[in-house]
Amino acid sequence: MEQLFMASATIIIGVFGCVAYFFLSNMALDALYPPRGPNAGANISRATAIRPWLFLLPAILLLCVYLVYPFFVSVWLSFHDSSGNRFVGAANYTWLLGDEKFRESMKNNMLWLLVVPAASTFFGLLAAALTDRIRWGNLAKALIFMPMAISFIGASVIWKFIYDYRGEGQREIGLLNAMVESFGGSAQTWLTIPFWNNFFLMIVLIWIQTGFAMVILSAALRGIPEETVEAAILDGASPLQIFFKIKVPQIWGTIAVVWTTITITVLKVFDIVLAMTNGQWGTQVLANLMFDWMFRGNDTGRASAIALVIMLLVTPIMIWNIRNARAEMR
Amino acid sequence: MKAKLFAGAAALALVAGGAFAQDLRFAPGEDAKFNWASYEAFKQDLSGQEITILGPWLGPDKDLVESVIAYFEAATGAKVNYNGSDSFEQQIVIDTEAGSPPDIAVFPQPGLARDLAAKGHLVDLGADTATWIRDNYAAGQSWVDLATFPGKDGNSGLFGFFYKVDVKSLVWYVPENFEDAGYEVPATMEDLKALTDKIVADGGTPWCIGLGSGGATGWPATDWVEDMMLRTTTPENYDKWVSNELKFTDAAVVAAIEEYGAFSRNDAYVAGGAAGVASVDFRDSPKGLFASPPQCYMHRQASFIPSFFPEGTVIGEDADFFYFPAYAEKDLGQPVLGAGTVFGLTKDSPAARAFIEFLKTPIAHEIWMAQKGFLTPHKGVNTETYGDPTLKKMGDILLNATTFRFDGSDLMPGAIGAGAFWTGMVDYQGGKAAVDVAADIQKNWDALQ
Amino acid sequence: MDNIAGTKSSLVWTVNLAVIALVVLWTIPTFGLLVSSFRDRDQISASGWWNAAVSSEANEIARAGDADTQLQEGDLWVIAGTVLPEGKGEVSRFGTSSRDPTAYAAGETADLGEGVSLTVATDGSYRLTSTTAFEGRSPRIFFTATTPPRLTTENYARVLGAEGLGRAFLNTMTVTIPATVIPILIAAFAAYALAWMEFPGRALLIAGIVGLLVVPLQLALIPLLKLHNQLGIGKEYIGIWLAHSGFGLPLAVYLLRNYMVGLPREIIESARVDGATDFQIFLKIILPLSFPALASFAIFQFLWVWNDLLVATVFLGNNQDQLVMTGVLRELLGSRGGEWEILATSAFVSIFVPLVVFFAMQKYLVRGLLAGSVK
Repeated sequence: MEQLFMASATIIIGVFGCVAYFFLSNMALDALYPPRGPNAGANISRATAIRPWLFLLPAILLLCVYLVYPFFVSVWLSFHDSSGNRFVGAANYTWLLGDEKFRESMKNNMLWLLVVPAASTFFGLLAAALTDRIRWGNLAKALIFMPMAISFIGASVIWKFIYDYRGEGQREIGLLNAMVESFGGSAQTWLTIPFWNNFFLMIVLIWIQTGFAMVILSAALRGIPEETVEAAILDGASPLQIFFKIKVPQIWGTIAVVWTTITITVLKVFDIVLAMTNGQWGTQVLANLMFDWMFRGNDTGRASAIALVIMLLVTPIMIWNIRNARAEMR
Repeated sequence: MKAKLFAGAAALALVAGGAFAQDLRFAPGEDAKFNWASYEAFKQDLSGQEITILGPWLGPDKDLVESVIAYFEAATGAKVNYNGSDSFEQQIVIDTEAGSPPDIAVFPQPGLARDLAAKGHLVDLGADTATWIRDNYAAGQSWVDLATFPGKDGNSGLFGFFYKVDVKSLVWYVPENFEDAGYEVPATMEDLKALTDKIVADGGTPWCIGLGSGGATGWPATDWVEDMMLRTTTPENYDKWVSNELKFTDAAVVAAIEEYGAFSRNDAYVAGGAAGVASVDFRDSPKGLFASPPQCYMHRQASFIPSFFPEGTVIGEDADFFYFPAYAEKDLGQPVLGAGTVFGLTKDSPAARAFIEFLKTPIAHEIWMAQKGFLTPHKGVNTETYGDPTLKKMGDILLNATTFRFDGSDLMPGAIGAGAFWTGMVDYQGGKAAVDVAADIQKNWDALQ
Repeated sequence: MDNIAGTKSSLVWTVNLAVIALVVLWTIPTFGLLVSSFRDRDQISASGWWNAAVSSEANEIARAGDADTQLQEGDLWVIAGTVLPEGKGEVSRFGTSSRDPTAYAAGETADLGEGVSLTVATDGSYRLTSTTAFEGRSPRIFFTATTPPRLTTENYARVLGAEGLGRAFLNTMTVTIPATVIPILIAAFAAYALAWMEFPGRALLIAGIVGLLVVPLQLALIPLLKLHNQLGIGKEYIGIWLAHSGFGLPLAVYLLRNYMVGLPREIIESARVDGATDFQIFLKIILPLSFPALASFAIFQFLWVWNDLLVATVFLGNNQDQLVMTGVLRELLGSRGGEWEILATSAFVSIFVPLVVFFAMQKYLVRGLLAGSVK
């Protein structure tokens, strides 16, 4: 009981502390520069200049502490040796360039970046568009969403039951092999087939991320003003035309956001690879390579260097976002 | 069940923090086979002190270690929190680096302890403890050597205390299957190979081997190779190999890898064929022993594997093990490969020191021995306390060993022993030549800073 | 007109079929896990989960009863019993040796030599007879039986009965709720500023936030825990709230800003003209209109925090007051974690709350739509 009380108390204090900040700081600002009286004009413009920062302050603080600060620590570490004590210049980076596993990871990551965001967004859009049109849509959504909700531990067992291989003369407990065998084929060790095994791993992430894409895109589709759609119906447009010519252009921004987010998830994904192959049989990816050097190799220098490469890969997306934001402002 | 659940929930609220009321599994002074004198002699007053131990043991293993800890608590009045973690390796690195370490860490591999010692995160246990180990552990010097690393200042010290040992050189089999087929337990490697061929000739499959282990896939093969090293070359070479004085590309190492391949890469020798070995989960692979008809007759794995046998399997009756034999002709004696967990002091305090002292008492070993899954090199314990004959038999293998060597991959740097070596063995299983695999691993080792 | 109605209903059919196909593809893997959670460990590794619901034929091994259960009948010693303890199923063949486990048809009598013989009937009952008294271990009986499906709820009993699960549930809630609400609140304000307020450096800030999305968590752990320790937060709940909020913030800001930017400009402009301050606009117009986006982010943030183990093990202690559910479930698996049945079951136990959250939030996804169309 005590725990229950403590928990609710802490929850309330935490959440209300947050609300109180926004309320009080805005009230203080209004009291300091009242939008009336002799200096109303100057006060309003001063308040308008300050208010964005009141809105942004907690976010910026948290981001600085929890992400920017570790980022700079990583930069610093990437120029130091395994224990972080001795400056080694660019040694970690030159090592990276010569490392075979790193090249393999780069190659695989590119493959992941091409396939996973595209496939997840496509299936997510498909699911969002179709489920909105049927009566049991909410149930269908929940079922497609389920992989997102399942813990990672659960997901790795799920796919074990799909890809498992037992070998000749034994009963297969992997669904894929059982199917192949029932069609007269012979069982495969799916996760060890060079090159293609990458795709078997990608399927897992696509399976998970589709739910994410679906939820976000479905919210966007529902936000489309009815009038535009109704006008198109009156013009006699077919449902397909409506979807591609009216709806998709209107949610284009959201599609880009979903794509970006999944791209970043792909760059960070390591648990799927770690649990299913640990990067063996030519399936290594950057994030797992980093994890390996961090916790198995105990080399924070190399791990940080790999992390910075991952972050570097995201620059094109950042530039694209800057341009977008500038365009919006006009 | 439901009633039990509710009762549990109610009890939960009442006994929060009731871990103090730990009952001792064997009442002190009762059973004469235990060394209660050492328990009484250890008693001291540390009440009010509290220490935290972080270790890799979870589930049933956690209950076992806590049953030992309970005696320490009872003898001193100190409170011990044992926390188990499946990501122990990550957690201990993060916690020590960040400055919030537990008091004591239980390392599953000495390699990690070496890394932490080098960064100054472990406390030197001192010369007295080293002397104690030397005097009281069988092959004491080797246990001291295994836990002696350079500290942050570069001076070597004893940074770990071995407690709980595993024997790895074991071959598991179903005795009745052997009887049905008229097979004898082989006493030499030559016999084992002859038996392997005989089983194939009889239309059976001799071995079940599985290297799959999620993120750690490949490690079972490294154990095979280490066992083969000990059976094909001198222990001195083994030691040099572990410290990379003897390169991976050395003929002796390549030969050991090929010795393993002679078993695992022969389609007729392994259940499911050589192609399946790398992906079959090591936890699933022993189940072939118990199939009807048997999918295989033998499975080489460490002493922990019975937890993955089918439910209700009685060790010693339904399944048993024999020593993974050595070549008679090579005259390398009876080498045994093993592993063990190391207790390291991550934060110095009187209670933590006292706990290390407690591990020196015979009773700290006997309590766990009397239950299951525990072997010890402590010479002062009463081997009668072993909970089942199987443990005693394993203990005998340990005692009869002419050479005992620690799991080499655990001693190598993490990037090799828990990285390149694993990956290399997976590649080898996939058909890559042993020479190339060895060259790859060596290249990785050379690239370490 | 009929024609149009025809194409319409065929379209409805296509949509329904397509959704069914999609749903089936997406659910089959999870369904396999669900079925597995009702099977015991030996079954899971012996046969595929799709066999769980059908009678299956399998070779099994039983052991005849102990010697002390033998009865003397005339000059014969008899051990009797059944190889199918649950009484269901049908034995087709049996054997006495692992070399030939299907040597005899059910009902036949096998001669084991030395006056011992064995009969196994179709219903599974066996009779082991000997001319001398049995001693030592009884022989194994190999048999091929077709057994009906067998499902068990024992796994659930074990997981739900796990020590400390109730407490851990509370702990998880204590972590999850603030760690979901705080970042949403903070991000909503920031997203509004980035979407509708003009100030220098806005575009750069947005790009910076996108860049921060990719900072790997693993690298941040050590410096942050060090910081927490120095600040004296140590391993308290406040620390994990802040950590989860920090890690979730970039995505929250990014998603919410994108949504808010898409809201009709006229509403905001007209409110400004009416003299509303940004704070008022945010509270009275933007927040209600953004419900779908807030709800969808809430779902994801809740999920991540709920299923997280890594951040919790680093930023919270492992003691009873702080251990989260994922931690308790992990403990059930033991040190080497090969217990697929417990894995499967815990996955379903822990999926329950997130699904409830999903359904609860779905309502708000719709409400956002209504609010949007009212304007």
